[in-house]
Amino acid sequence: MDPATSRPAVVIDNGTGYTKMGFAGNVEPCFIAPTVVAINESFLNQSRTSSKANWQAQHSAGVMADLDFFIGDEALARSRSSSTYNLSYPIRNGQVDNWDAMERFWQQCIFNYLRCDPEDHYFLLTESPLTAPESREYTGEIMFETFNVPGLYIAVNSVLALAAGYTTSKCEMTGVVVDVGDGATHVVPVADGYVIGSSIKSIPIAGKDVTLFVQQLMRERGENVPPEDSFEVARKVKETYCYTCSDIVKEFNKHDKEPAKYIKQWRGIKPKTGAPYSCDIGYERFLGPEVFFSPEIYSSKFNTPLPEVIDKCIQSAPIDTRRALYKNIVLSGGSTMFKDFHRRLQRDLKKIVDARVLASEARLGGEVKSQPVEVNVVSHPIQRFAVWFGGSVLASTPEFFAACHTKAEYEEYGAGICRTNPVFKGMY
Amino acid sequence: MILLQSHSRFLLQTLLNRVQNLEKGVEFDNHWVEFDDVRYHIQVSLKNPHILLLSVSLPTPPPEAIFFGGLPSGAIEAIKAAYGVIVQILDPPRDGFNLTLKLNLSKLPPDEGYKHALLVKIASIRETVLGAPLRVILKQLAARTAASNMDRRFAIVHRPNESFFLVPQVGKMMVMFPMRFKDSIDIVLATSFLQEFVEARRTAGLNNAPSCMWSPSPPLELKGAPAETLSANAGFVTFVIYPRHVEGKKLDRTVWSLSTFHTYVSYHVKCSEGFMHTRMRRRVESLIQALDRAKPELEKSKKTVLSRSFKRMSLKEGRINSDS
Repeated sequence: MDPATSRPAVVIDNGTGYTKMGFAGNVEPCFIAPTVVAINESFLNQSRTSSKANWQAQHSAGVMADLDFFIGDEALARSRSSSTYNLSYPIRNGQVDNWDAMERFWQQCIFNYLRCDPEDHYFLLTESPLTAPESREYTGEIMFETFNVPGLYIAVNSVLALAAGYTTSKCEMTGVVVDVGDGATHVVPVADGYVIGSSIKSIPIAGKDVTLFVQQLMRERGENVPPEDSFEVARKVKETYCYTCSDIVKEFNKHDKEPAKYIKQWRGIKPKTGAPYSCDIGYERFLGPEVFFSPEIYSSKFNTPLPEVIDKCIQSAPIDTRRALYKNIVLSGGSTMFKDFHRRLQRDLKKIVDARVLASEARLGGEVKSQPVEVNVVSHPIQRFAVWFGGSVLASTPEFFAACHTKAEYEEYGAGICRTNPVFKGMY
Repeated sequence: MILLQSHSRFLLQTLLNRVQNLEKGVEFDNHWVEFDDVRYHIQVSLKNPHILLLSVSLPTPPPEAIFFGGLPSGAIEAIKAAYGVIVQILDPPRDGFNLTLKLNLSKLPPDEGYKHALLVKIASIRETVLGAPLRVILKQLAARTAASNMDRRFAIVHRPNESFFLVPQVGKMMVMFPMRFKDSIDIVLATSFLQEFVEARRTAGLNNAPSCMWSPSPPLELKGAPAETLSANAGFVTFVIYPRHVEGKKLDRTVWSLSTFHTYVSYHVKCSEGFMHTRMRRRVESLIQALDRAKPELEKSKKTVLSRSFKRMSLKEGRINSDS
């Protein structure tokens, strides 16, 4: 038997904003780090004139060109303190954008953070439901060629998010996953564990847009934030102070009546001069998350609220799954963590559904009474890493190892095996 | 990151986190695996937030290494010496592990700097336990009292079912690593890496480093060792350690670097593979760019003509067409 199957699999969920990594069978990921790489490019570009002399030059400089980079929080700190490092975000809008940076990122995840030998463990990685098969192939190539992993499973993150709810309450693999990450928002209907691909809806508003909107609001009000730091400050403000309100007008009134209670203070230190500063945080606390419910306040290009998108998505799914889909709407991703987000979503969605039921009853003239549609938005405390947790649950089952692409298969057939899910092995 | 750090990053993070919120009780249960099959398990219960149970399982020792009760010789003494009163060794250890420690966080020293140093030390438990026999032998070398065990061969486990060898000689210590890799590409890369490693030792700046040799066949000092320990597909590396390499504070670093040498090589092999891929991708990109430039412009204009015929008719238009 393969000794690697006796060790827990490594589960890495690479999100646009944060990467969650850890070992299968645990409740929490070991590390949650920003998906960012700080690279010193100065040596990489002159490597064409490779010779002994160049090697010597690099050596005496005390720098190894291929190892001079940092990931995660260290990367952010490095880029702030020195100008030799360039930040590179390997994932954009849920898709891998820069494979070089991605490979380095994985390398550090494995060796520096998890400190495991990739040859000893099966790996579970995640992808968005819209990832192209080519990119899956590329992932497989890097994992098998560079890291020599014995087995690899690439799971769809929304299915994993559903699987995360699987253990806590009931054995339900049908539902809509509302995955609002930092770079991408997808509404994915899943029926019995299968993604209904034709009904996936994505909207161009995600966590990063909330941050940008908060930044914009603070800038327009003239808050005293150093410009080079304003994005980071906006992100921190979003993560610590933002919440969802039930009604904007009422919320504005509340803030105006009792500013002392609602307006928060932010204190920071200017990175360049080291001087302390402070600024107020007011309306952006509830206006930030509001972009999901009334997007017209943020962008003029897109103005369908999130509840409406979810409703459209379910309406486009096969008719016999719709009731079950309404019943189990699962939130995942860091940007669904705003307080009362699920309540607001459930209320708005229920409103749309009830209006439709009433309209159809009116059309039928009250002869047929339809059963009320149950709308249920599920939220759980582990929402931030629900996808990771789902992966951890999946990878700790004994069937997982049989469902992986193995190194032997890769060597026999090539990267093409990663195009399809190995669960269907032998069916075609 | 060029060298591997001696402390486990996750363990240190957990310990620091616990120490900061000592009063807040949490249920915590986590297990993880490090390179060379060292497994950890950590447990905190809601009732006793000060008590932290840490279990460690070590790689399976090959027959030639000396183990007492599942631990390398001298490990218990090393733990007691390093951690003092905060740590209590539980006997028997947790099921499936070789060692279980009970950490009492309320007994930590109040001084911040010292406390942090001690937590880092606890997080490097693997160095303390696995490096214990190596440390004892190197200490004898530093004290120059190695006369009693001259020309004996010591085997020290560093990977599951694999060990490296120490042969003390007058005033120095030979350390020999049989290097084994699974993947055929890794073998080639590791072999050339090691040859380059020996070459790099000769550069001017590294005169004080331990001298280092690589050979494809087992060195003479290993004559008489069991045959299966002498099969290495990436050759043998020999370091010569002198007392000056293990003096004072250098001892810890030498112990760590020697006991993780294999992982160090394997890490750098993977890194260079990654770096090669980066350069291959760059090359492909530049070639594709050259190809793109060579493409005739004609194709583009053709496409636009074609796409016009694919204009979709909407339902309404279709109806109008059928009506007329």
